[in-house]
Amino acid sequence: MTSPLVSIRALEKRFDLSGSLLEQITFEGGRFRRKQEAVHAINGVDLEVQKGEALCVVGESGCGKSTVARTVMGLLSPSAGEIHYGGQRIDNLDGKAALLYRRKMQMIFQNPYASLNPRMTIQQTLEEPIRFHHPDWSPTQVRDKIHEVMHSVGIDPDWGSRFGHEFSGGQRQRIAIARALAVDPEFIVADEPISALDVSIQAQVLNLLMDAQESRGLTYLFITHDLAVVEHFGTRVAVMYLGRVCELADTKNLFATPRHPYTQALLSAIPKLEDDRPNHIRLKGEVPTPVNLPSGCVFHGRCPYANERCRQEVPQLIVTDGGTQVACHAVEERRL
Amino acid sequence: MALLEVKNLDVRFAVRGGDLTALRGISFSLDKGERLGLVGESGAGKSVAAFSILNLIAQPGYIAGGQILFEGKDLAAMSERELRKIRGNRIAMIFQDPMMTLNPVLTIGTQMVEAILAHRNISKKEARAIALDRLQKVQIPSPEKRLDQYPHELSGGMRQRVIIAIALLLDPEIIIADEPTTALDVTIQAEIMDLLLNLCEQENVALMLITHDLGVVSQVTQRMLVMYSGRIIEQGPTREIINDAQHPYTQGLINALPQMGEPGARLFQIPGSMPSLKNVPSGCPFHPRCNFATEQCKQAMPEYVRSGNVAVACYEVANLIEQEKRMQEAES
Repeated sequence: MTSPLVSIRALEKRFDLSGSLLEQITFEGGRFRRKQEAVHAINGVDLEVQKGEALCVVGESGCGKSTVARTVMGLLSPSAGEIHYGGQRIDNLDGKAALLYRRKMQMIFQNPYASLNPRMTIQQTLEEPIRFHHPDWSPTQVRDKIHEVMHSVGIDPDWGSRFGHEFSGGQRQRIAIARALAVDPEFIVADEPISALDVSIQAQVLNLLMDAQESRGLTYLFITHDLAVVEHFGTRVAVMYLGRVCELADTKNLFATPRHPYTQALLSAIPKLEDDRPNHIRLKGEVPTPVNLPSGCVFHGRCPYANERCRQEVPQLIVTDGGTQVACHAVEERRL
Repeated sequence: MALLEVKNLDVRFAVRGGDLTALRGISFSLDKGERLGLVGESGAGKSVAAFSILNLIAQPGYIAGGQILFEGKDLAAMSERELRKIRGNRIAMIFQDPMMTLNPVLTIGTQMVEAILAHRNISKKEARAIALDRLQKVQIPSPEKRLDQYPHELSGGMRQRVIIAIALLLDPEIIIADEPTTALDVTIQAEIMDLLLNLCEQENVALMLITHDLGVVSQVTQRMLVMYSGRIIEQGPTREIINDAQHPYTQGLINALPQMGEPGARLFQIPGSMPSLKNVPSGCPFHPRCNFATEQCKQAMPEYVRSGNVAVACYEVANLIEQEKRMQEAES
């Protein structure tokens, strides 16, 4: 196998909750104590994104999928672990050195109402990244590039003088995509790019993303909670739960034979058109808070197959016969 | 007689520069214990339709015409005082965001008891017992404890369970649920929907479910309405519509779902987007996006035609049915 375009190695990210030193100190039982708390958003994630593929990361709110996206992009710095791009470690680079990678890696955000500057025209919005990354380009070159990207996302280039608020949600998301494409990136991180859109608009934007992938040879890291989209769009899927990857598989395998009990429950919960009644696998309780992580397998509290080993020992990803990677003791012990 | 019958309902919003028509000629009925789905994209008017049943549309919106008959009485013509006896009591509502519906400074118990005492002349103790019973019904773990907790102490799924418990407090005839699970994760959504469905069946409560999710509609409802730009364009038994949609918009909506497409292939897409209320196209509001649009579609809104048990407002469908009829006649 060729070397991956992006590799995420043993990534961890904690968000400190306890504030400054003074705020951490509490008075308990006649003694001062220092109390520190953190949200454990990512707890050891290893992922590799191959060139040309669309790797989807799915999971429910709070599982750390957006944090993975932001850490890869350098919007957050990892608490531990490394991010490599094309063989080069990038998470520790400073401004100048990181610049090259910022051009190659672009991001599309969830809410097109928040990600476009309301005081900039579309022309200005698209011009800014091009001028920043190609200061030597002539105005004609810049204009041609803007025309080209606007055309490719299906926005009339004559609308350049309009502002973001004059467009509908779907059109805004197209503009956000155009902005990402304007600097000819190789790798795009899309964080829930269609979740805020209506069904008929979702299809339009999804088609656009697939067209762009084909014509520009893009690689995607696609973050979503919507498994139906994943089945359609993804080459491979990573299912996350409480900051860990619990299953990593080719899309086809994942949907045909989900191995991890959480993946199975998640798949069964998608409302399908052919169903007459909800028929999902019922899980006990709710997702625990990432502040106090459960011991052992993070899923054991809700898992119908959990035993003593699951409560004690953290399962590692193992490769199964079908090529799927699963982090589950029950699968490893062939109980499942 | 149907439990609820909406006839030719028009709802307008009086804004600067004239009235905007949010609902135009909406007619449907709901039987006792029946589950009805209202489907459409944002801006279709599905929430306005739900809100107007209890006359909950705020100024500058108003009901411009039509009737809302609940057990034969017209809710649209009722005084505010009479309506208050029905709201929350005979017809309950569940809203999208549980955090917005629960009062953050009152305990769950206080809010539930308050709702009961507003309609029933019983002691606080009895009211609390009813509240506890409903919390048990929605399968909240340790319900006694929840009564004294504040909304922020509960998770999103738990809060929506509390909202359902509140809706059930006074044994309503109808529950109107406006996107009750949209703010929740898939696994929690599945549980809440399952719960709502089971409770409606057990208690024989009619459910009006507003959602944009066709999968949910197909799992929960018996009949459905598809709305577009303030009109009902198709209505009938859910299974029939999902399996064999007639209106080009409904077809497009179903085919645009990723689960309908071949994995990896392009998805079916409806061009354009829903028109804003400020400039609704003439004739059939869907015609600028429709592949079958003809001159006729631009002139006037099509009448409903019957296809099986489904009523559809579309000239193309009407023509097809007409053709089929002629062919059958020619054969016989």
